[in-house]
Amino acid sequence: MGEAQARLRVVVLGGGTAGWMTAAGLAGLLPHRCTVDLIESEDIGIVGVGEATLPHIRGFVEKLGIDEAAFMKATHATYKLGIDFRDFGRIGESYIHPFGSFGEEVGGIGFHHYWLEMQRRGLAAELGEYSLAVCAARANRFAPPAQDTSLASTYGYAYQFDATLFGPFMREHAKGQGVRRHEGLVVEVERDPASGNVTALVLKDGRRIEGDLFIDCSGFRSVLLGQTLDEAWEDWTHWLPCDRAAAMPCTHRISDIRPYTIATAMPAGWRWQIPLQHRMGNGYVFSSAHLSEEAACAALVAAADGDPLADPRILKFRPGRRKHSWSHNVVGVGLASGFLEPLESTSIYLAQMAITYLIELFPESGAIDPRDRAEFNRLVDLEYDRVRDFLILHYHATTRDDSDFWNHVRTMQVPDSLADKLELWHRAARIEKYSDGLFYDASWIAVYVGQGMLPQAHDGRTALPDPARVAGALDRLRQEIGRQVAAMPGHVEYLHSERSRLAEAEA
Amino acid sequence: MSIPRERLRRVCIVGGGQLGVLAAVALRRTLPDCQVVLVGTPADPGAYADRAATALPFTNRLYQRLGIDEAAIVARAGGSHRLVQRYIGWGGEGRVGTMAYGAQLDAQWRTRFAREWGGGPRNAGSSEQAAGSLAEVLADAGRFAVPPGDRATPLDGVDFGLRWNMPACRDLLIEAAQARQVVYVPGTLDSALRDGAGGLASITVAGQGTIEADLFIDCNGPAGTLIDLVAQGEWQDWQPWLPVRHLFHARPGQPLLALEDRVTLTPQGWLDAIAGRDGLQLVLGYGAGVTQAEARAALPGQPEALVEIAQGCRPESWKGNVVALGDAAAWFEPLAHLNLDLAHRQLALLLEMLPGRAIEPLERAEYNRRTALMAQGVLDVLALHYATPAARAVFGEQPVPDSVSHTLDQFTRRGRVPFREEAPFAGAEMAGLLLALGYPAGTSPQASGRDAGEAAAARRDFDQRAREALAFAPAYRDFIAGGPQASGNPIAADLQY
Repeated sequence: MGEAQARLRVVVLGGGTAGWMTAAGLAGLLPHRCTVDLIESEDIGIVGVGEATLPHIRGFVEKLGIDEAAFMKATHATYKLGIDFRDFGRIGESYIHPFGSFGEEVGGIGFHHYWLEMQRRGLAAELGEYSLAVCAARANRFAPPAQDTSLASTYGYAYQFDATLFGPFMREHAKGQGVRRHEGLVVEVERDPASGNVTALVLKDGRRIEGDLFIDCSGFRSVLLGQTLDEAWEDWTHWLPCDRAAAMPCTHRISDIRPYTIATAMPAGWRWQIPLQHRMGNGYVFSSAHLSEEAACAALVAAADGDPLADPRILKFRPGRRKHSWSHNVVGVGLASGFLEPLESTSIYLAQMAITYLIELFPESGAIDPRDRAEFNRLVDLEYDRVRDFLILHYHATTRDDSDFWNHVRTMQVPDSLADKLELWHRAARIEKYSDGLFYDASWIAVYVGQGMLPQAHDGRTALPDPARVAGALDRLRQEIGRQVAAMPGHVEYLHSERSRLAEAEA
Repeated sequence: MSIPRERLRRVCIVGGGQLGVLAAVALRRTLPDCQVVLVGTPADPGAYADRAATALPFTNRLYQRLGIDEAAIVARAGGSHRLVQRYIGWGGEGRVGTMAYGAQLDAQWRTRFAREWGGGPRNAGSSEQAAGSLAEVLADAGRFAVPPGDRATPLDGVDFGLRWNMPACRDLLIEAAQARQVVYVPGTLDSALRDGAGGLASITVAGQGTIEADLFIDCNGPAGTLIDLVAQGEWQDWQPWLPVRHLFHARPGQPLLALEDRVTLTPQGWLDAIAGRDGLQLVLGYGAGVTQAEARAALPGQPEALVEIAQGCRPESWKGNVVALGDAAAWFEPLAHLNLDLAHRQLALLLEMLPGRAIEPLERAEYNRRTALMAQGVLDVLALHYATPAARAVFGEQPVPDSVSHTLDQFTRRGRVPFREEAPFAGAEMAGLLLALGYPAGTSPQASGRDAGEAAAARRDFDQRAREALAFAPAYRDFIAGGPQASGNPIAADLQY
């Protein structure tokens, strides 16, 4: 065996979701490589916007050896099969973007081509009818997916949870892994004059926390990456104009505990409804250029189905990202490195993604290799850019002309990378293919079709087989999906089938 | 409302080698109402996709999809299975490295959801995954049988490259083409007429007349006669990175049944040996510093052909209505069995993205984007071979593509293989190749934290699976001799190369 490497001293600044996820991830997965100190202040609130997650969160929780039931209990979590987008393409229309796919390709030709052909002939049902995840969500049912390659393995699930409880849960876990927590406000950042590296953080009471690697999880304030290192910010407001959210929890009924999140387009943005075990999370994400904070709060209160459990609070953000998420010996994770609005529940994913890459590229024995830093930044950029294009699509693919906001996003110039994707879809019903990053074919198809953006033409080979045979195959798939959904327990029933994942009733 | 695109009415494929014939079968299968004309131009000895006597696992799946029966190749075209590729001397004098196949072992790809929605921030392939493969255990023991496929067996996940007798395999493909009414026109190209849209309107075959088509597929080998007409000489030269300039092929030697193939670094160059039930195939690749006489002396057996090669690729392999496949798109030495593999991956992509009569510029651009990544992946794998210290001693110092430096740096320092879109090998396979070439794997941060107990448990688990696989698999000789494939060729008495 080689000599034990000196352990790197990691200092995490910020005790929100990103901070405690990072601390838990590093302490849990690299226990022999680092020590972790985390500084947080009770005087600084956390944003905790993300109440909905993507299926990838399961891998993170599992890898840390956390029991799913305990995790769900602590965060008041419910299961999530996708997002129900309402009024985006056109008022009155809706679709579910599922954690799953539609149908199955035939002879190497994507299912959606056949669906388009059958739809033209009036022989196809709505696209969602061919997705097990969509049908289960609509039926308010849930069962864990199969671990094989059958129809029952064509979906995944995530959680809808209370983000203000997720951070503390990770905190308890991280502390159990040896993470030291320091309460206090950082008043000074010490740097090495030669290298520019951060060497220590000084707290208000004079304590000095030294470190080799600093993780900036200070949220939008971006104390280290932004304020100290002055890392440039790439602003994406022109494509994603929403820069505020009004958030307010309210009561809900058992029947409201759906295995999916609802996103409803509003005159100046969109509104979320996320059912947790004991309450409903509500929020209005809006553009302050198009709507005042007061008006947004009023609209949110008016739209809430249950009784408010608190006054609406306003969160401010700006979409974009730092040009480099890792600069010197500072790595930004979460909002300190970038922000994309929660339309597709990507915030926690993006933090998790950065943590995963940081673990893969964790510095060896003290010295940070610039090649690892460059690799980290390359990977993070790629993820952000791909998610960005997908989010812009939700706004741009619309016929809405009922407000300045929708007129703006409908007619704005989109990034070239997205313009080409749109044109490729429009002309030939094809999707640009990649295996890295988030959101593959099924997701793009769900949004294109769901928002009424049908292509001009699809693969001509779909017109070759006898339409009655294709229609028969589509019907059989629908029936099989129907049978499997009917055999699933209700979401609430499944949730309640194990007491260990249920939180104590709130006072 | 979306309408079906008008389908291609006639496709003209130029090149009568195994690639062109397969492309013809594939087109007829996917477009039963389209006339497919195959122009059987004479074979070019430097067309390595056409010459190939083996490929990689992707080809097995493509053949299955296109109705080319693997069992028939084994029974009638001298087919056999390569579980591992041995690299001899690449890691230094006397060192032997072993690479196995099989990307599907990765747990994150097991369910359909994972494949279609992604497995999350993926862990790049790492040296840990490659350590110890069932394929190597089986190859060492000379035991293997193709698993039945309809039930789980201890051999599941063991992938292989299929080998065959090329002319016999081409005959099988020709049968399939005839059964599908492919129109065969033998001859040589006389002239071509442009269509005014950057493509071709028609070609004229000497003594046979003019053929008009909606789409032309150039499988004509490195000359790329059709694509060259429309690509105006656009060419990405790979010679700065790839030092081999000549390939000396030997006449097939004695029959050899083996589960492995070998490529040996010699003082003159590399000597590639492909076992075959109809004879061992040998080829020597050498650089500019070696004379023909020296190469001739270093080649075991009787020389059959000498090919001078100028490696490179078309930056865009689809121009106008002309698509180049195989050597017409990228020409490179037959190292690591990538020639037909690349051609088949290009063909599969063309089938997936098959255009209508009117070709959309953006679909062509997307095809070209992806095939350019495929070609880059091939260049990277080849360049990795020549970047080993032992290969540098033979071939001299070569510059290394940036992507290769990046991969080597990440692997040797971190034990990490960066993910690349459209790469020929999955992360775990790539890690296996790097180890086989003698590159030392760095330690991944997570591995360094693992305790010995965990490693021992993984080892026990692997040993258990290896015992089960060995108990399940018959002697490979018995598998080949025992089935319908027994008829045909004699089987060598020993496993010596």
